[in-house]
Amino acid sequence: MLDTLASAIAFGIILASVIAIAAMGFTLQFGLTNVFNLAFGSIMTVGAFAAYLAQVNGINAWYGLGVGGVAGAALTLLLGRGLFRLYARRGAKLFEMVMVTLGLALVINYGIQAVSRNNVYQFTVLQAAPMHLGPVTITPTQAILVGIALVVFAALEALLRLSRVGKALRAMAAEPSLARSCGIRTGRVVIITWVISGFLCGMAGVVYVINSQSVGYATGELFLPLVIAAAILGGPGSPGGALAAALLMGVVTEVVSAYGGPQYSTVAGFGILVLVLLFRPSTVLGGHGRETRLTL
Amino acid sequence: MLSSWTFYISTLVIYFGVDLLSGISLNLQYSYAGVINFGYIVFQAAGAYAAAVMTLGPSGGASSFQQYVFGANLPFPLPLLVATAVGAALSALVGLFSLRRIRRDYQAALLLIVSLIAIEIVQADVPLFNGSNGLTGVPRPLAAVLPLSPQGYQWAYAAWVLFLCALVYLLVRWLSRSPWGRALRAMRDQEDAASAVGLNVTALRLQVFVIGGAIAGLSGGLLVQFIGAWSPDAWGYAETFVIFTAIFIGGVGNYRGVVLGVLLVPIIFIQLPQFLPQIGYPGLTDSLEWVIIGLLWMLCLLLRPRGLLPERRSIALPDLSSRSA
Repeated sequence: MLDTLASAIAFGIILASVIAIAAMGFTLQFGLTNVFNLAFGSIMTVGAFAAYLAQVNGINAWYGLGVGGVAGAALTLLLGRGLFRLYARRGAKLFEMVMVTLGLALVINYGIQAVSRNNVYQFTVLQAAPMHLGPVTITPTQAILVGIALVVFAALEALLRLSRVGKALRAMAAEPSLARSCGIRTGRVVIITWVISGFLCGMAGVVYVINSQSVGYATGELFLPLVIAAAILGGPGSPGGALAAALLMGVVTEVVSAYGGPQYSTVAGFGILVLVLLFRPSTVLGGHGRETRLTL
Repeated sequence: MLSSWTFYISTLVIYFGVDLLSGISLNLQYSYAGVINFGYIVFQAAGAYAAAVMTLGPSGGASSFQQYVFGANLPFPLPLLVATAVGAALSALVGLFSLRRIRRDYQAALLLIVSLIAIEIVQADVPLFNGSNGLTGVPRPLAAVLPLSPQGYQWAYAAWVLFLCALVYLLVRWLSRSPWGRALRAMRDQEDAASAVGLNVTALRLQVFVIGGAIAGLSGGLLVQFIGAWSPDAWGYAETFVIFTAIFIGGVGNYRGVVLGVLLVPIIFIQLPQFLPQIGYPGLTDSLEWVIIGLLWMLCLLLRPRGLLPERRSIALPDLSSRSA
């Protein structure tokens, strides 16, 4: 009985690492620019396909993490500085921007569907022998994914807390106009945000397909609601919050799956967000829902 | 040849009517209550499920080829009323927790998540919803009673759908011109001021959401009685976006804009490509269709952010209040 619980928790941690990398990228992007980017999942898929193409051309799947990250960063920067700014200049507010990213998600998703001939492709990573940690059996690949999530979290926290860039990022997230009048080059900080969050997004797509071993046009889109739920639950702009929320959602999902049957696992993951919004909305929303503005 | 054309056109008229009801519902919720209901399809599908089980007769239990709850054999207009009530009740339930004073983009994401949860539950719960197979064989209302040819029945059903559309349209227009509608516009334009003069904005928002949900349930009931089948795959969350594209392109807050948008997007852009010759591998046309819908959506937000027929300015003078659309 306890063995089942231990395995469920271990698998929950693995699922949480996959969610957490994407959620940290999402929360950074959203916390700073206030763009609620529904195309985030599509960009994850772009990263995953970039890694797949690299693999087909003989590049190791683990280097694919970098390939996917660079693809995600480049696309996100292009969209952020080009497309989103164009709409913002024409007077798009927070809400119009959600609609823009939704349209963009349709274009990217179904564009990939058209190009990929609507097939699901095998994404193989060499599997070493499974490891036994007490009652829990996991593969080394899964252990590495957990390690990657922790490294990403540590690097992001170090960047935000210890470097000058991180200080500028936090200042801008708190109060863009004040940061600007203090002499922070806000344009440059926004570029850095797009690049880092885009890199995490593309990399998360690759992490997702390393774990699931297949890549298709709907890869990121199906995963996005979990990512958004973790980012909202953790509080926008907080990598630590995103990590904790991902951990909670991952463990609950897998424990429910182990005891209550797999069909209700995703429902349970989302259920947490709904329950928190129902009973403690202020935890999620950080006080009152103050109108914020886009920072592009 | 000719008969197949009239068959096709009458089917399109019925789809147009159903989508128009959806457009009216979403437009009401969005332009008056500021709620972006990305979970719309859930309320439509709930109404459809209710109408289906109310006409399929008692369930045969686990041994029969499809399972559902509370089967009944209600006479003709009653299943539609049940569908409407179910849509409204489910909206009230979802609205109670999703319509708090939270940021609108969070709210939209929350409603999208609600629709994903709903699909998971429907697929997981075979005894309740027959899983991902859905329900089939829903009988058409009065098909056995009316002395009509299949052709004639099609047109009669189309007329029935359009009649209900007109009814709902007049009702919604009357509501939006009433004092209640003015209170809604006040809430939308100046929420703080509206609550300062004593309007209960949360209650108002919930009322609009429930009325929209009732219309959604009705449209689902009408559709399921026509096509005769209901399944979680065919009633997925992407359908909501088609209607949203329609009202955005047509013009939010303007009912003539909604009619135009519904005519343009679900009818012309979704149905017309079926006539085009297939290019490339099977399915390519479908993918490209969605790419074009996405591009249209983005182009429209860029060039005409308020739609082709924008909402008319309403002037807050008593004798001009009837002008407000």
